[in-house]
Amino acid sequence: MCIECLKLPPLHRHCDLPAKIVIMASEASSSKGEFDIYQTYRKILDDEEMSPPLAAILSLSQLMVESNAGTMFELVKELHDGAEELKRHTTNPISLNAGCELFIAFVTLFPHESDSFAELKTELVKQGQKYAKEAISYRNKIAELMLDFIKDDSVILTHSYSRVVMRALLHAHKTKRISVYVTEARPRGLGVKTHEVLTAVGIPCTVVLDSAVAYVMDKVDFVLVGSEAVVESGGLINAVGSNQMAIIAKAAHKPFYALAESYKFHRLFPLSQYDLPTHNPSILSFPSLPPRPFVTPPTTSGVSPPIAKSGIDESLNVTPTSSSERSMSAEMTAKNPDVDYTRPDLISLVFSDVGILTPEAISQYLVAMFAG
Amino acid sequence: MAPAPSLPIHPPNGPVNGDASKQPPQGRSSQKSMTKAERRELQEKQRAAKAAAKAGGPVNGAPSKQAAKPTPQATAAATPKRPTKSNEAPAPTASALRTQTAARARAASVSVPTPANARGLRIFSHFGLPKPVSVAKGDIHPTILRLALQFSEFKITDYATPPNNTLSRHLMTYLSPQISHLVAARPMSVTMGNAIRQLKLEISGSDIDLPEQDAKDALCQKIDNYIRDRIIIADQVIEETAGNKIKDGDVILTYARSSVVQKVLLGAHAEGRQFSVIVVDSRPMLEGKRLLSVLASAGIQCTYILLPALGAIITEVTLVLVGAHSIHSNGAVYSRAGTALVAMMAKLHSVPVVVCCETYKYSETVQLDSFTKNELAPQGDLFSSFPSVKARDSLTLENDEHLEILNPLYDLTPPNCITAVVTEVGVIPPNSIGSIPVALGRLL
Repeated sequence: MCIECLKLPPLHRHCDLPAKIVIMASEASSSKGEFDIYQTYRKILDDEEMSPPLAAILSLSQLMVESNAGTMFELVKELHDGAEELKRHTTNPISLNAGCELFIAFVTLFPHESDSFAELKTELVKQGQKYAKEAISYRNKIAELMLDFIKDDSVILTHSYSRVVMRALLHAHKTKRISVYVTEARPRGLGVKTHEVLTAVGIPCTVVLDSAVAYVMDKVDFVLVGSEAVVESGGLINAVGSNQMAIIAKAAHKPFYALAESYKFHRLFPLSQYDLPTHNPSILSFPSLPPRPFVTPPTTSGVSPPIAKSGIDESLNVTPTSSSERSMSAEMTAKNPDVDYTRPDLISLVFSDVGILTPEAISQYLVAMFAG
Repeated sequence: MAPAPSLPIHPPNGPVNGDASKQPPQGRSSQKSMTKAERRELQEKQRAAKAAAKAGGPVNGAPSKQAAKPTPQATAAATPKRPTKSNEAPAPTASALRTQTAARARAASVSVPTPANARGLRIFSHFGLPKPVSVAKGDIHPTILRLALQFSEFKITDYATPPNNTLSRHLMTYLSPQISHLVAARPMSVTMGNAIRQLKLEISGSDIDLPEQDAKDALCQKIDNYIRDRIIIADQVIEETAGNKIKDGDVILTYARSSVVQKVLLGAHAEGRQFSVIVVDSRPMLEGKRLLSVLASAGIQCTYILLPALGAIITEVTLVLVGAHSIHSNGAVYSRAGTALVAMMAKLHSVPVVVCCETYKYSETVQLDSFTKNELAPQGDLFSSFPSVKARDSLTLENDEHLEILNPLYDLTPPNCITAVVTEVGVIPPNSIGSIPVALGRLL
């Protein structure tokens, strides 16, 4: 175990992962006769350091081990089915998708040098596991690249909780003085988790309200966020609130940096927020109120019709609290999005294990990777 | 940005005979409002005369607009035609230009024979002016492209290698006059250039040892493949990809008529998606009417407006879908005049703009404005207005020597107004258009 890992709380150590992965994956399948890809996936995700795309890649590798396919065509079909199965179980499949597509593309384009299909399969599985092992170290690479952009006494604004941002901040903390603002990131409140981790290692950190981002922006040197996916347009899909932050950063002329491992690059091209796969008609929809009976126009005395008022009250569903703070009900929260899309012109740079890229370069990278 | 000199006015199709003999001083003194320009002209006479002495180069096609015609009609400084992007200080340039041409005319000393081909507006002289030619002219450029390819193909089949010469070398020289003939009919477009370059590449790559008929057959096959892969199949891929971006309840806006966009809309409708279309059209070509009739007869709910009404309906629009004549490596899209306005308006209202464009329309050049390269629309009776509602001659004003009609066919949409470009190799953001050759290289 490396020194930095010893200092960290157990869930944030990254050194003893690789061996664990393979054991966990095979454990999941050996417990049942039939291979359940979703169970495998969930088990792999139990490890804090794992992200959905990597877990997907490992699950698909394990699927290959268990598969009885005799030809490439059958194998690819099985992989597609496995990916579909995984997608069905998650509400936010974007980053999962990225991992699956990457792996399936890799399998399809892998040069067929081996004579027998079984050999090829073994080779593919090995490659898949090797990739996952290596991919864990991508966060370190990115942290290293980020280091030069962080000056002494930097004030950094970040959003919610992101493992790669954590790695970058902890790495910078070793040699530089930094202080961090983190947004609460409602409704899940993951910003508070960031605050805990940073405070534990001694980085000054303050949680700001999501609505106070504009207030704090002028105090900040730059904005640093993680990502769920980086898309073909060069834009970013991340926890809801990132777009807002990017727009405010642009208005305040502050750089907006996104950190993304290369397996999060996705061939998706959303044209707008509402073109995201996670968007559905219930998000930000208005409630259907009971039809209002026809009301006569208000008389000169100005008495407002009582019926309309009670209709509104019913649908608000406000739980009366004695404190001055109110909170949204679960029903209200469900109408809000989980992720949003940040346009490429708002992003200054994307830091990735393949290098520091401008948003325009992302598309070129994706074309080069997937075009054959 | 292009300076806008005041224009000497010519009737569109060449000077009417009597005018050619007019001398500059006569024309100029007849206009009162020219005094200010005249004063400046007097100041700059020496400088212009010096410049005129230096500039002895070719008259046509120079982008610096030194395309001075020998006998200008120096009239109408009062209402100079200014293109929408006009610069500061147009008058000195204008007067310098006029003085220079006057000086040149005087230097020539005799009434210089005016070139037989049309002059039209001096500052737009570098635009290709349409000339009536016996070769049939298509309105839609893929048709011209196919025409060009088929034309060449016909010639290839008809062609016989002279003895002691290789097919590849001789065929190339044989094709050149054909190509210039086509270019004379209509200025060389990006797509024509790409196709012809590809053809020449195939010809030069053809095996010397192959018997002649086999070589010709192989070339014809290559041409067919080009048409099939880069045009027909590309259209199908684009139809599917762009169709996936159309969701139920969308209000899609399109401009003029693009054959690709038509296919996309019909395809999406056939798949059962519920959407409505707003067709924006503009005079004088009014190409949108044809698109409207095709879409309406397919059962798609359509609205038809003219370009000036765009501001009123843009808030209703969810997606803008346009075609392109060509796309350039800086991400700019060269398309029917008016497209830039639609894209800019959409951008302002946060409506995504999607350009549907096959890769054979990709040009590695960089284009920054609509001015350096453009075409003028043919005059009245060559318009294809469907159905025609105005008498043809009301569209030309041939007899009025003080009025010139300026009708550029194309304009340039800057890359920041475009959200995505849909090609057969994928959906690409405009700033990364340069990756098209990379993607193509993998496929070829």
